[in-house]
Amino acid sequence: MLRDQSRYSALPETSFFLPVGNMAAHRIRRLLCNCRQLHSEALAPATTTTTAPPSLYPPVVFSITAKSQAAQRRRRERLYQEVHDAPSLEEKLRIFGRNQRLKYVVYPQTWALNADRWYQDFTKTVFVPGLPAQEETGGEASRVDLSELRSVVCDVLLQELFYQRKRTPYLFRAIDQGPAPFLTHLVPALTAYLASHNPVLVSSSIDFKPDVNFYWLRGETVVPRGHRKGRIDPLRFQIDDKPHCQLRIPKQLSEFVPLDYVAPEEIPVFKVLPDKLPLFKRQYDNKIFIGSKVADPCLYGHTQFHLLPSRLKRERLIRLGLTDQTEVVYRANGIASLFAWTGAQAMYQGFWSEADVTRPFVSQAVITDGRYFAFFCYQLNTLALTVDADKNNPRKNICWGTESKPLYQAIEDNDVKGFDDEVLLQLVNFFLHRPK
Amino acid sequence: MLCLRSPAGRAVNWASCGQRRTKMYYGPRRPRGPLPRTPWTVRGPPPGAKLPWYLQKVPPVREQVPELDTVTYEGKMYRVPWLAKPRRQQWERGWHDPRFDGPRPGALPSHKERPCYICQQLTRLLEGVKQALWLTKTKRIDGLPQQILSLMTDTANQLENQDERVQNAISHARFWVSSEEEIMEETYCPVLLEDLLHLCTTMAAKHPLLAKRMVARDFRVAATWERESILLQVRGINGKLLNAVNPLEPVASKDEILTTENDVLETLYPIAPTIDLQEVNIYETRNDTGFQLGYPYPHPHTIYFAHGDKYHRMQPEQLRAKMLMFAFGNALAKARVLYGDKPRVLEKPIVVQSVGTDGQRFQFMVFQLNTTDLDPSHGVKNLVWIDADQLLYEKARHRPQIRKKVVTIPAGIHGYQPDTFKKFLAFYLHGVV
Repeated sequence: MLRDQSRYSALPETSFFLPVGNMAAHRIRRLLCNCRQLHSEALAPATTTTTAPPSLYPPVVFSITAKSQAAQRRRRERLYQEVHDAPSLEEKLRIFGRNQRLKYVVYPQTWALNADRWYQDFTKTVFVPGLPAQEETGGEASRVDLSELRSVVCDVLLQELFYQRKRTPYLFRAIDQGPAPFLTHLVPALTAYLASHNPVLVSSSIDFKPDVNFYWLRGETVVPRGHRKGRIDPLRFQIDDKPHCQLRIPKQLSEFVPLDYVAPEEIPVFKVLPDKLPLFKRQYDNKIFIGSKVADPCLYGHTQFHLLPSRLKRERLIRLGLTDQTEVVYRANGIASLFAWTGAQAMYQGFWSEADVTRPFVSQAVITDGRYFAFFCYQLNTLALTVDADKNNPRKNICWGTESKPLYQAIEDNDVKGFDDEVLLQLVNFFLHRPK
Repeated sequence: MLCLRSPAGRAVNWASCGQRRTKMYYGPRRPRGPLPRTPWTVRGPPPGAKLPWYLQKVPPVREQVPELDTVTYEGKMYRVPWLAKPRRQQWERGWHDPRFDGPRPGALPSHKERPCYICQQLTRLLEGVKQALWLTKTKRIDGLPQQILSLMTDTANQLENQDERVQNAISHARFWVSSEEEIMEETYCPVLLEDLLHLCTTMAAKHPLLAKRMVARDFRVAATWERESILLQVRGINGKLLNAVNPLEPVASKDEILTTENDVLETLYPIAPTIDLQEVNIYETRNDTGFQLGYPYPHPHTIYFAHGDKYHRMQPEQLRAKMLMFAFGNALAKARVLYGDKPRVLEKPIVVQSVGTDGQRFQFMVFQLNTTDLDPSHGVKNLVWIDADQLLYEKARHRPQIRKKVVTIPAGIHGYQPDTFKKFLAFYLHGVV
């Protein structure tokens, strides 16, 4: 109504000068108004230069709602600011994962071929064969009575594979009878035995089958279809992991290498979308979780224990002619699970892609199928994985890992044949790793 | 037109059809004569009396007039609703097919005439502990034995900042274990048990002998015994079993054992003592600890029961009865290995502890098997110490209670009781310290 009135009132004036139509009059009036605005804005800096007090007018900024790159940038910055200003950690994680879109679901235990190289690309991780040098645990490990530990491990093994009477397992569920209870009982038994050597284990917390979730952005692509078609969108990834069990501790493990150490190895780069791995997209809650909520005092990871499903068994892969993939399975699991867990720990400390970590985060993992054991250490050096944050960021995450080795050769009645002490020693070293 | 037509229609509807249409007349006719001698009760008519007409089941028309079934639609080769369904002769295979007919009665080698009553993990005993006491010929003593109480009160047997760590364990199980808002009982109950057991295992730094323990789960125990010539069995999977290298020392002394001869077992009359036990005729009489001979941790120490499953949840009384039955079963199977099948009074009684929880309240039980001579009700009895319904905490609130914008009850754990975990820890340390 008001606008109409003004238009009518303005009409005689403009028509006085130019006998034009209604629309043209409107356009001219808008032009005049703009001129007036420009004048006032031009005047405003002049006043501020002359007088010290701050401007009476708000600063000139781009629109938030417009369909322009500037507006998009402003919206993004507003979201970042919101995450930075979040009053609590829960709120920060909630705002960070608030926006739901289709995201790639990364499965740590996968039968995709050469998945470890892809996972290195997604997580910006360098894989280094072998384990990092640890000087502190070496002294402690020599004090541990290895023969007694061997008998403990053999007892657990023989209980599950020989002494306890078991029924024939269900089809494809043989893993529930031997390897799974072996791992379930091995971890508390070793914890109990080594608690006197490593005081961190006394204050640790153990989880069986916990949820570990991580959500992150990396790379960009053009939205191919839908109402957002043609826009540039980051690739989103989600890992929903369920390790067999894990140990959490209240203090952070000491770092393996300094934060600014840049590993000389190259990270493989893929020019195609992750659909080719294949990965598939789903949309659901963006969760970030280390197995416990933020209020828990045990917020740092010590060791995860993963049990490979029977589908990824070494014998099966060899039977299918995938001899080169037997180690890939272990590596992919190690990289993806440890990145998810360590990244979630870092996010629990308030770091994220726009506020990169100021200290490295470290976790370990043991991956087994019941007989073959592989050991992995992970150091998270950077969480800045998005395209914007990744510019001029030389840091890389580092994953150290061994090839899988058999713990024993065979079990004949109540006798473990060919027990490998090196694997046991490595396992003990993992348990003895402690914060400074 | 409408006005003209509608009265006519109504007139048709009003025509009397012989039905009583008024509400007040509906129902049974009122008895005209004197009232019947036995009055009607909620349970039904007096014995021998006929049901009233509205409760009598009317037989189907085909039963009332059997001639109706003579005309069937058999010849038509398709179904005709108003004709009778043709009656066909039941087809006989002519031979016994075990896939469809099942095994012939008595054909299985383990089939026996004498029934056996089995207690397994889903059995909920109606009478609870009282029934279990009769079945296992046990005397109940309330409270815990002196050995455990002394372990409990000794401050040397405690963790560093124990209360804080136990409260963290409770919070972990109740609030922190999952990213979901509400955590169900089937989730938090086993998690709480694992957390508390983890706290107990960290005591191994103080007492290195605690590392000489072994946990087993999903083991199948089998124990058979006779009670007043009723054949009974305890079978199947039960809780988590903590095995030890050395057996637990007997809790009660010889004199206390001998004084149990004078006790009289409480019977369940008129209820049968085997109520709610599974009655089977196909069974094997076995005694089995679930482990092979030569097992390096041969002595059962404690059985832990975590009860959180929605479908298999039990009342605390039933859980206690189950704990007693399985503690007895494990002890009896062990006794049969050590002392043979012949019923006798044991020289060295066997002690098995059991702990049960529903995520909040704990049941503690110490069972001592004094005799395997269970058939007669007289003589030496077994002993059980029961400490029932010990709350670890009173309430765990996810959200604060707010009334008129004032927080009346804050979120968190309320009413934490430190004695319960001390008992839990004392059960774990029993036999080592």
